Amino acid sequence: MASVPSPRQRSWVRWAGPLLLVVVLAVLPLVFPESVNEIIARIGVFAVAVLGLNLVMGYTGQVSLGQIFFLGLGAYVTAYGVSNDWNIVVVFVLACTIPAVVGLLVALAAARLGGLAIAMVTVALPIVGVPLAKRLSDYTGGSQGLSARFGDAPEGTGLYDDQWRLYLVLAIGGAVFLLTRNLVRGKYGRVFAIVKKNENVASSVGISPYRYKVLAFTLASLIGGVSGFLYMLVIQYTSPETMSFGHSIQLLAAMVIGGAGSILGSILGGAYYVLVPQLTNLVDPSLTALLQGATLLVVLFVLPGGLASLARPLGRGRRSSHDRRGPTPPITPSATTGSGTAAETPETERQGHP
Amino acid sequence: MAAELAMQGVSLRFGGIEVLQEVSFTVEPGQIFGLVGPNGAGKTSLFNCISGHYKPTAGTVSIDGTPVQGARPATLARHGLARTFQQPALQLQETVLENVLLGAHTQLPGGPLEWAVRTRRTKRAEERFRVEALDLLERNGLAWAAHLPADELSHGLHKGVELCRALLMKPRLLLLDEPAAGLPHAEVEHLIAAVRRLRAEDDITVVIVEHNMGLIAALTDRVVVLDHGRKLMEGTAAEAQSDPRVIEAYIGKDAADDVA
Repeated sequence: MASVPSPRQRSWVRWAGPLLLVVVLAVLPLVFPESVNEIIARIGVFAVAVLGLNLVMGYTGQVSLGQIFFLGLGAYVTAYGVSNDWNIVVVFVLACTIPAVVGLLVALAAARLGGLAIAMVTVALPIVGVPLAKRLSDYTGGSQGLSARFGDAPEGTGLYDDQWRLYLVLAIGGAVFLLTRNLVRGKYGRVFAIVKKNENVASSVGISPYRYKVLAFTLASLIGGVSGFLYMLVIQYTSPETMSFGHSIQLLAAMVIGGAGSILGSILGGAYYVLVPQLTNLVDPSLTALLQGATLLVVLFVLPGGLASLARPLGRGRRSSHDRRGPTPPITPSATTGSGTAAETPETERQGHP
Repeated sequence: MAAELAMQGVSLRFGGIEVLQEVSFTVEPGQIFGLVGPNGAGKTSLFNCISGHYKPTAGTVSIDGTPVQGARPATLARHGLARTFQQPALQLQETVLENVLLGAHTQLPGGPLEWAVRTRRTKRAEERFRVEALDLLERNGLAWAAHLPADELSHGLHKGVELCRALLMKPRLLLLDEPAAGLPHAEVEHLIAAVRRLRAEDDITVVIVEHNMGLIAALTDRVVVLDHGRKLMEGTAAEAQSDPRVIEAYIGKDAADDVA
């Protein structure tokens, strides 16, 4: 998958997909009603959180059960900063760096252990985080939690608040996705993949597995912090419950269902995290947990690679048709992202420009 | 420039099992050196002691006169040591080219941020090594497979891909662990040609662990025969093949007597 398109591939083909995606995402918030925009924004928040988890677990193979802790930490930092009237850019930077530093410190210790020990250390994060958030009530508001409202639409834009917030989520989340997608190709993508697959081979080509496990975990924590910032932007309220262990497991389930080690899978995972509890609630509120469990099992049996693997056969077919014509490079992840976009376009075409 | 490898009294013990006992030999720079012996003789363990994957219980391993026993494999790799494995571990979903490019890791500049924003420097470096990797594949007869996923290739070709990955590291000392195991005869011939070309074109020291005596005889300047973790003899491949102790170690004492 991780392959840079060759210069032979015509440039308009390479740009058409992403351009279409940007146009669609720019138009959507103007078209949808407020409730739909809020749901999309929530999906964006959790897609970023799942992306961070994917980086450390899907790509690098280190079991992390504590990703929600970094979302919670980012959310608390944001809430505290906003309620103290700090500059929002400073708040954003702190909401990224504080979780990243905490993640780095945890990883420096945990990555030495390897295997299931890392999982056990990460389990401790939400378990310690919840009572800690309750105890440090001067900063966190205790069990009541913290509210903070920011990101209202600036005057003169003519946008509703929900539209403006969705644009912010799309811009920040989109940037995180783009940077991560670049990172998991090329040098670092190969490193993460070989650390996941075989540490002996990794070290034989000069890669210190420890160092890159720490890197992956730190970046995952940083991305978790970004998702926490976005969480406050969209939901405007956080409490100790935000980072409960149950939510961390749901985030893990979302990653597996979306597709481990897949950029598109992270988006689908975010959608799963937000939509499926709502859908199962509609069916029968008393059966929510049961229906979610059933969904998880069905997806795992039918699509062990997650929902993102649905897009892969398309890419495969494309590659083999190229091979027959000559040495053209194989599937690129942009091909899979493109097919995701294609699925979305009919909706906007149906709705038309407002 | 090619590296010199010296083993001095190397012993390795796992609990009560003596895997290697006081093994000593020297590989001169530029030599192709064979490590032979029956299954369980300790050849791969010796390899792991050189590449840093095992730490010898006693003795010294030195590369160009510098003791390296106990150094991490990643550190040794950055100092010019490359190796292949008995069971090639490739990324089966990735293309052959991507697999080979892993060997460029230590030579690719730039931190994660640079790669995330795809600076000109990282793009150029990636492109440069892409060309180098394709060139290596070409020289080893694998150019046609460069853009295929590795799982579409046979086990024998995986070994070729792994060799290219090791060569992209531009090693001064290359360790090949049973490169011919499981290969059909024609591919063994390819392999012999590839290693010969390596010696002719690159300044490199090669150590080969191998059962295939044909390959050892065709390639090596010198061999060490191991048996039960001890050095049985050292000499040329021809000397090893006619040495009664070696024949005994391989096929057992009674059978050796029958041959005699």
